[in-house]
Amino acid sequence: MTTTSPAGAPPAPRPAGPPPGRTARLIAALGPHATVLRGAGGLLTLIGALLPWATFVLNKGPYPDKATLQYFVAPFGVTGFRWQLLLFGIAALVLALAPVPARGRLLRGLAWGIIGIAVVNGLFITVEGGGLGAITVTDGSVACGAVVTLLAGVLVELGARAGGIEPRPVWTWRFGPWVERAVLVVVYVLMLFVVAATLTSGGTGGAANRYSGAVFLSFLAALGGAFAALHASGLMTWVATVAERHRVFSVLVLLAMALALPLTAAGNEYWMTVAANIGVYAATAIGLNIVVGLAGLLDLGYVAFLGIGAFVAANLSGAAAAKFDVHLPFALVMVISAVIAGMFGAVVGSPTLRVRGDYLAIVTLAFGEIFVRTAQNNIFGLTGGSNAIPGIPQVELFGTRFSDRIAVAGIQLPAGVLYYLLIVFLVAIVMLVFSHLKESRLGRAWIAIREDEDAARAMGIRTGPIKIMAFLCGATLAGFAGAFFAHKTGTVSYESFRFTESVTLIAAVILGGMGTVPGAVLGASLLFVLPEKLREFADYRLLLFGLALILIMRFRPQGLVPDRHRRAELARDPADEPPPGGSTAGSRAEVAA
Amino acid sequence: MSFLQVRDLVVAYGAIQAVRGVSFDVEKGQIVSLIGSNGAGKTTTLRTISGLLRSVSGEVLLDGEPIHRLPAHKIVMKGVAHSPEGRKLFSRMTVEENLRLGAYTRSDEAGIREDMDHVYSLFPVLGERRTNKAGLFSGGEQQMLAIGRALMSRPSVLMLDEPSMGLSPIMTQKIFSTIKELRSEGTTVLLVEQNALSALALSDRGYVIDLGRTTLSGTGHELLADSRVQEAYLGEGVGT
Amino acid sequence: MLATFLSQIVNGLILGSLIGLIALGYTMVYGIIQLINFAHGEVFMVGAYGGLFMFTYLLPTFIQRQWYLALPLLLVGGAAVSTVVAVLMERFAYRPLRGAPRLAPLITALGVSVALQELVRNFYPGATAALPFPRVFVQGTWEIPVPGGTVPLRWTGLLIIVLSLVLAAVLTAYVNGTRMGRAMRAVSQDSDTARLMGVDTDRVIVLTFALGAALAGVGGIMYGTDLGFVNIDMGFQNGIFAFTAAVLGGIGNLRGAVVGGIVIGLVKALGGQYLPGGTAYDYVWIFVVLIAVLVFRPQGFFGESERVRA
Repeated sequence: MTTTSPAGAPPAPRPAGPPPGRTARLIAALGPHATVLRGAGGLLTLIGALLPWATFVLNKGPYPDKATLQYFVAPFGVTGFRWQLLLFGIAALVLALAPVPARGRLLRGLAWGIIGIAVVNGLFITVEGGGLGAITVTDGSVACGAVVTLLAGVLVELGARAGGIEPRPVWTWRFGPWVERAVLVVVYVLMLFVVAATLTSGGTGGAANRYSGAVFLSFLAALGGAFAALHASGLMTWVATVAERHRVFSVLVLLAMALALPLTAAGNEYWMTVAANIGVYAATAIGLNIVVGLAGLLDLGYVAFLGIGAFVAANLSGAAAAKFDVHLPFALVMVISAVIAGMFGAVVGSPTLRVRGDYLAIVTLAFGEIFVRTAQNNIFGLTGGSNAIPGIPQVELFGTRFSDRIAVAGIQLPAGVLYYLLIVFLVAIVMLVFSHLKESRLGRAWIAIREDEDAARAMGIRTGPIKIMAFLCGATLAGFAGAFFAHKTGTVSYESFRFTESVTLIAAVILGGMGTVPGAVLGASLLFVLPEKLREFADYRLLLFGLALILIMRFRPQGLVPDRHRRAELARDPADEPPPGGSTAGSRAEVAA
Repeated sequence: MSFLQVRDLVVAYGAIQAVRGVSFDVEKGQIVSLIGSNGAGKTTTLRTISGLLRSVSGEVLLDGEPIHRLPAHKIVMKGVAHSPEGRKLFSRMTVEENLRLGAYTRSDEAGIREDMDHVYSLFPVLGERRTNKAGLFSGGEQQMLAIGRALMSRPSVLMLDEPSMGLSPIMTQKIFSTIKELRSEGTTVLLVEQNALSALALSDRGYVIDLGRTTLSGTGHELLADSRVQEAYLGEGVGT
Repeated sequence: MLATFLSQIVNGLILGSLIGLIALGYTMVYGIIQLINFAHGEVFMVGAYGGLFMFTYLLPTFIQRQWYLALPLLLVGGAAVSTVVAVLMERFAYRPLRGAPRLAPLITALGVSVALQELVRNFYPGATAALPFPRVFVQGTWEIPVPGGTVPLRWTGLLIIVLSLVLAAVLTAYVNGTRMGRAMRAVSQDSDTARLMGVDTDRVIVLTFALGAALAGVGGIMYGTDLGFVNIDMGFQNGIFAFTAAVLGGIGNLRGAVVGGIVIGLVKALGGQYLPGGTAYDYVWIFVVLIAVLVFRPQGFFGESERVRA
């Protein structure tokens, strides 16, 4: 009789990755030279910023800041991406020498910013110049700014990794409440300016300004690097905890900042219009977020509710093509639109009593298609069919039309600013409704259904009516947005409410982060701002969009702003794996390939 | 060297370790059983050996060759057959189709026919109903088919997970006597059972798994006589 | 009267058998990995464009002129293009998500669908508008005399009906009668246990995608030949119809997919003829049928209720 000794020490955890590969060995060998690498990278960034970037004259337009041989004419006129590179280079040099907490991590953020700038501009010049010669040597002119900067970025990255990437520091500073509030105000004002700068960087794209996309992407790379570095410093996390301490104050200041956007560089009619559209889709996406994010019911025809709201508003607006010859006040129209859209939501949601999961997604898709088809056929004369319903009057208040330019206290505000202010308020209200619903009894019931419908039912939650409520609430918010949409654009056509729009809304919710308040707004903003800024790639917009969906699901299914409190619906969190004995379902993630 | 060796196996579901150090040996031609209470990690161990789960650490050697990094279908080809817990028949397929799936890795039609006839002779009831859907069978018949299906790959090691689960005492007896018969034909059997008494009685060797670790081992009779085993596992099992 | 009715039946059968052919791909993939492969409609579309490319740029003139040479080559070419696309998408879009929560692959499928459509729109010469498709089959119609008139049956329509049914029968025989077919059914019933039998599930899944895609590719060629043009929207629309057909017949069930396709075809043809609103609303009736089936009989005509997934 023998007794097998119980395995003595607890087994070592599985190593994080495969055995050290070539890169890892290289990094290890570079260890002692980390400071040199970092410093050299920073210095090289400075040099790269000052070198010429193109071997030919970009004479078809003012490519930023003399990235060409013309540069030598005015060596200190450093602006645009070269100015950003200078800042990055100086920051890298300082970090290489000064003992700052988590500097490896900080440098890494900078490195990726530098690499991003070099790649975007290098690629653009190469494409514009028709080959690699454009960023190296042609006809005796030498330009190697892009190559040098790319090398610099790689050096900084290598240096950062060779010196070790420290954990992100956690700051626990506490100041008096007013000091903290002042810090928040400063941060939010800065954010406002960053947003305005992002929107205006590169100018308005299009045929007249072919450099806009490249300039914008380069700016985005710089911004990304800066954000990565800031995040690495732990300061952003600290600001987030401070904001959490002064939650109401933060929300109010953010609202004020949103209202102040027309006063910044982005305060022109073009961006006011884009922002109003973003607002419409953001409000709709928040409604969808109730259905998908909270209740976990995938709706592939959601844009129909926006359409129903818009058509209802159009018919009640007094437009010539409207079915009813009435002209109701805008506020009343909004309420009616929201109510009718909500009723349709309840109808579309009613199959949830019997249908679940993928099948439910298909049912909602079918409803969406039925909506588009019937609207296309001008059903009961309500939708105008392919003629749409044009001529919807502008919203008016005290005789001022919302599309007019106005001046307040001597400051001339851009046209459309009133619509912008209105949509900011509407989105704020919708966000408020959403966050209250989320924290309510109803919201907890939705989340319970999302996590496990059968368990929720076993707990005594009446799942049927509650699921229909999700559709009803979501659709109401969308109908609300639809009424605004009808008046803002002046024309409502079925073509605005096709399947692609529904997919875009889903993508906005997922990209932002399912079930979170800022997620849907962030997602909708990105999905509408990016195409506006990248008009040169307009043909590829949907292609990039499809690829983005695939990549997000693969690499960041929880979205940009993941919901802290939710167990992951989409993310694969190891802790979510059910304990052993859960038979086949339990072994999904662990099952060998 | 033993035919099947399991060394310091650790398996985790996410953050939770289900198996934290299981080691045992199976000699050729023997019946070896793993016993232990519900949730001790027996099924996880078998699923890891057959490649359905990946171990965190530890190794599984078949005839001295490591197989713990192979995908499941390659492990079957190496000669390990696994009849899973709950039988897991393809219930919408016929008896014959289930057996043919058992022989999926083989292409010798004559040999397959021969083995099918052998299964039918072991379990005549299957032979009588070879074109019936497996889902229509009783628990005992399903278990026979599950064992028969596992035999169809001509395994060098047959792993049976809870073959007596849910069966009447008479049917349990029948299944255990079949297992003995298989040993006499030269098949190596690794048996996982909660019915510790019956399992140890026919085993050449037994291992006790407790909370994910092998804690005791010995011949079947030694373990049956051990007071710790009697106290922990046989108390309630004796009657059944 | 009768002639009109019968002609609509004929139209319904033609569309229906094509939809059924596409539906086989949906139903097989859903049966095996419970994924609504939204991109399957695009695979059908890509097959048509692949065939068009082959005809336009690869085939010598003397083959182009002889339909009995060109048609088989196009069918094989279209099937090959569809298969390659489907295998790539399985490998790079779906396989990495195996074991992920169910919403993830569904959204990925939407992304693949959009991406494939846009790839063709942007990179196939002239694909921004509908493109003429070679009519690589006997043209003309067979006027079938019936009391009170004649029922026209296009030869290309007859080709669609016959070839679709033959291919569906071949596929059914393959799945029911061969070793790989048995492995496919095993994986769809219980993939873990199939692995214990020695089945390489990855291979079986790829094979499933490939078979469904090959049929869709053949369908794409026949669709182009029958209509005389192709456009990039053809995939989405027919894809939705085919999915509806698959659900109607009981998802996972091959025979059901074909029957479901024919029902869809008949609903569209007869609904457009006899229901209020005419052809403008024929799509609406299909979606109404879809919703009704999902709500009242989600297991479809032939599905066993145990198969219905949440």
